Amino acid sequence: MKKLMAPNELARDGRFVRLNTIDRFSDPRTQRGAGTGGRMGNRLTPDRPGAPDAARNLMHGIFVGEIQALEGAGRTCWDYEVGAGPDDVPFAFKLDMARQCWDEARHCEISVKLGDWMGTEIGEFAETAFLFEAACNPDPVLRLTGVNRALEGLAIDVFNAMREFGVVSGDPVLEFCEDWMLADEVTHVKMGSDWLRRITEKDPERRDKALEFQRIVDKLFSGGGFRGDDEDSPIKLARRFRELAGFTGDEMDELGELSRQSRAEAQAALAARAAGG
Amino acid sequence: MARLVVIPETFTMVNFDHARLVELAEEVAGRVGIPADLEVRVEIDEGSPLGRTKLASVDPVTLWMQGGALENPKVPRTLSDRSVRDVFARLLFRANDRLAPGFAEAPPDDDLTLQQHTAWDTYAVGRSERLGYNPSRQRRLYHFRNRHGFSDVADAVFDRLWSADGLSWADLEAACAETAAGREPAPA
Repeated sequence: MKKLMAPNELARDGRFVRLNTIDRFSDPRTQRGAGTGGRMGNRLTPDRPGAPDAARNLMHGIFVGEIQALEGAGRTCWDYEVGAGPDDVPFAFKLDMARQCWDEARHCEISVKLGDWMGTEIGEFAETAFLFEAACNPDPVLRLTGVNRALEGLAIDVFNAMREFGVVSGDPVLEFCEDWMLADEVTHVKMGSDWLRRITEKDPERRDKALEFQRIVDKLFSGGGFRGDDEDSPIKLARRFRELAGFTGDEMDELGELSRQSRAEAQAALAARAAGG
Repeated sequence: MARLVVIPETFTMVNFDHARLVELAEEVAGRVGIPADLEVRVEIDEGSPLGRTKLASVDPVTLWMQGGALENPKVPRTLSDRSVRDVFARLLFRANDRLAPGFAEAPPDDDLTLQQHTAWDTYAVGRSERLGYNPSRQRRLYHFRNRHGFSDVADAVFDRLWSADGLSWADLEAACAETAAGREPAPA
């Protein structure tokens, strides 16, 4: 079986349609700052007229994200040999990745059931593979930080936002499911924090490199301020849960700052386009 | 058949076929029962990928919608026959209702509460299903529950509105009052 599978090789049935990253970002409507999928620009709250459909769209994004997280953790189990070399990983690390596969598989099933509950068909919305793309780094430590600290950290923020939406809208099913999955995501990020520390214990240079890669992924997934630390961020940084997962206060402050930078850059780009007609 | 005037005539930011859009909209208008001598004006904000829609006026009948409401969510910027039928049936049933005496007392759309909007949508989309269209009942139920509560009372009212015909504004108000009575205030 081949190692280091490319994102375009992910298997899907006919219900799914893949939207490539270039198409996604070249949509002239989003370049005008008109938002994507009905959820950009402010927080997901039930008093917004389009909130139920925005929640459906976001939930479908979570569903395909869970599929890709399962694929990413599965590939990490397979792509590396057990050993002490720079391209190897400890056996216990593989066991944790296998456990994560089990969690992600359950999340897929929960997400499908939530889709049924919310009136969403499997594959109703286009899928992008940029989550899996972050899980393709050939260096196991960089992949670990990209996936288990950056992406699973984002999952903490998103699940917490959806859980809060369930609470405020009085939806007991959404609230319970999101709370359940959120607990798993905290565990996954904690695994990432622990393994990063253990594997790079005697190699601070490699740790710095991994943390730099995490910052790049974090900035990408802050998407123009989509996820941030400000009250009007559509997805707010879930500080308490991130703390439980091993994030320090400084790291979270840095994430908030990255998001502000990302938002400022997006606003500047929009202003430049507007000025250019 | 009612005449549909769709603006813009040429789309530049999305790949919508104007002729196909008009054809679908006229088909829906005929099946909903919009009077043949009526002109319906449709204004589309093609620059928005979002999905807001509204009945902007009944004299003349004017529908306003963001382009995202009509697109195929699997293939952004392309027209979806299902989305077009879904949106037009819902809005044109509402327009038809407003033209009837039983809805003379209904406030303007901008003054409706989210609960009133959703109750009216349920009544409209239920009728569109019986016309043979294929709206998602579960999606509408989820909308309804979000506005009227996740409760047996709300579900029963939803079923009643979904399968109803010949309702008046007073019936929709009564339905909203029924769910409000069983609803607890949302946590702060």
